[in-house]
Amino acid sequence: MQFIDPHIHVTSRTTDDYEAMQAAGIVAIIEPAFWLGQPRTKVGSFQDYFNSLVGFERFRASQFGIKHYCTIGLNSKEANNERLAEQVMELLPLYVGKEGVVAVGEIGYDDQTPAEDKYYRMQLELAKEVDMPVMIHTPHRDKKRGTTRSMDVAIEHGLAPHMVVVDHNNEETVKEVLDRGFWAAFTIYPHTKMGSERMVEIVKQYGTERIIVDSAADWGVSDPLAVPKTAKLMMEKGISEADVHKACYQNALEAYSQSGQMKESDWQEGVAIDQREKYSGNSVLRGGQTPKVKGSSGIVEN
Amino acid sequence: MQTTTYQANLEQAREFLYTLIQKNASPEGVEWLDKQLSKLRQEWDYRTFYFSFSSVPRFLGKASITYDEASLSKANALREGFTPQDWDTTQITRTYILLFLPHDDLKEYALTIDRMCETADMYEQQALYAALPLLPHPKELTGRAAEGIRTNMTNVFDAIALHNPYPADYLEQEAWNQLVLKAVFMGRPLYKIYHVDERANPELARMLIDFAHERWAAHRQISPEIWRFVAPYLNEEYLSELEKSVKDGEPLEVEAALLACSENTYSGGKELLDQHPDVKGRIAKKEINWQSIGDRYNVNK
Ligand SMILES: [Zn+2]
Repeated sequence: MQFIDPHIHVTSRTTDDYEAMQAAGIVAIIEPAFWLGQPRTKVGSFQDYFNSLVGFERFRASQFGIKHYCTIGLNSKEANNERLAEQVMELLPLYVGKEGVVAVGEIGYDDQTPAEDKYYRMQLELAKEVDMPVMIHTPHRDKKRGTTRSMDVAIEHGLAPHMVVVDHNNEETVKEVLDRGFWAAFTIYPHTKMGSERMVEIVKQYGTERIIVDSAADWGVSDPLAVPKTAKLMMEKGISEADVHKACYQNALEAYSQSGQMKESDWQEGVAIDQREKYSGNSVLRGGQTPKVKGSSGIVEN
Repeated sequence: MQTTTYQANLEQAREFLYTLIQKNASPEGVEWLDKQLSKLRQEWDYRTFYFSFSSVPRFLGKASITYDEASLSKANALREGFTPQDWDTTQITRTYILLFLPHDDLKEYALTIDRMCETADMYEQQALYAALPLLPHPKELTGRAAEGIRTNMTNVFDAIALHNPYPADYLEQEAWNQLVLKAVFMGRPLYKIYHVDERANPELARMLIDFAHERWAAHRQISPEIWRFVAPYLNEEYLSELEKSVKDGEPLEVEAALLACSENTYSGGKELLDQHPDVKGRIAKKEINWQSIGDRYNVNK
């Protein structure tokens, strides 16, 4: 079975993870621009980070046969540094239109401060202007209210619900998100967000229409195999293969292909792997390792 | 007030590119492009400009373009050496958009080009560097071009180095030599570098000879094309290298070394050439030339 993990921060993961993900059937991933665990202090750090999302990380993923997409945005936490936030906003138009950028994201609220609200709204406007989907990060604290507010504001700015993926849902938020016509994504993340068992129950109750499963695996204790593992549990608990396919592959594809930057044919023939190629002088191989070669590389042409 | 240097008539260049776009992109794609540019003409706005430039593949696709003789000679008439023969629809369109960038304020213009290069993905970089021969203020962009040459992404390097008249026309000798040396390193087809012979220089010849020594020490092959750059400076000092190539080299290396000898009046070279009457004859008949050597070498590689 093939899977898409539409929310994973692979910049923070190892090549072992990539190998395991590929072996588990993950064919495509989306890496949302997010926070690195500590605040950035200069706009140049954002620029280099965005460059890695559209550049080196995409190359690195391809080296393991995985098609990499990303979303670009100013995250909610860092919106609170307004001086920096202004500069990042100036940078965004250079990135949102790039190949393989499938949404403006992840944006939204963390502390639900006025500054977060301001930059969230500005980015919704940007998404509307360039006709791109939006990926919303919902807050960990005061989640229910924050989720409702995120959707209210999106509607207020004229975004159609089908263009908005609301992520990090739980039992408390899912109904409203689905009722209002938004995509409802769930992060299977140990301890803090959602567990596979609970995910199964949600699918049993709500079905798989507009439901999306992701791992949000990052630099924390998290599991880059959360999507295939949850899929396995779903099957064991009697959820049909068609439903699993929808929640763990098809819905993400439908939501993000609205960007015009993601299509199944991008990976169906296999992502060309050529570990002989280099990107900016860097290779994922280290001394003495033998490169794997399959097909020709889509990254660096000869 | 500073006057702007132009390499090509911008209006004609735009027209040329637009005709190609119309012929090769979908009507919806062209419509999107027209809309973006009419927005920009009404009121210049960097947001729209950046977004248009990067979004081209999404709206116009990457179909390859077949060029007829007429368009290629028109390109050359527009700007000597301008050879868009490998450019696809996206690259043509990105170049077209780039030619609308305001350039009266040089500082602002150079800053924007820098900004675009620094934030560009691989294919955008390819388009930006390949567009160099059409851009205004060419002298002010040499630092940017030199920066581009430092890339290790093959297609970005090729965009500057191959079929591009800008480096030969504007790069300082140091940057030029780096370009050629790096092309040798990366195994690029040297004969596709525009005006290679015009920019041959003794320093480059010396660097290439040193490079050959390194390769030989490591028991590795060298590109036969490097002898082209040594040919004008062939002398007693370099003769032994050529002799070695003729003695131990693959047939292509032998031909290249002897071709180099034939291009110089130095007597040592002539003697070496005379020892191989068969190759000498084929050189005289023009069966062996740098283009054919480069072609065969790059096919076999
Ligand atoms: Zn995230």
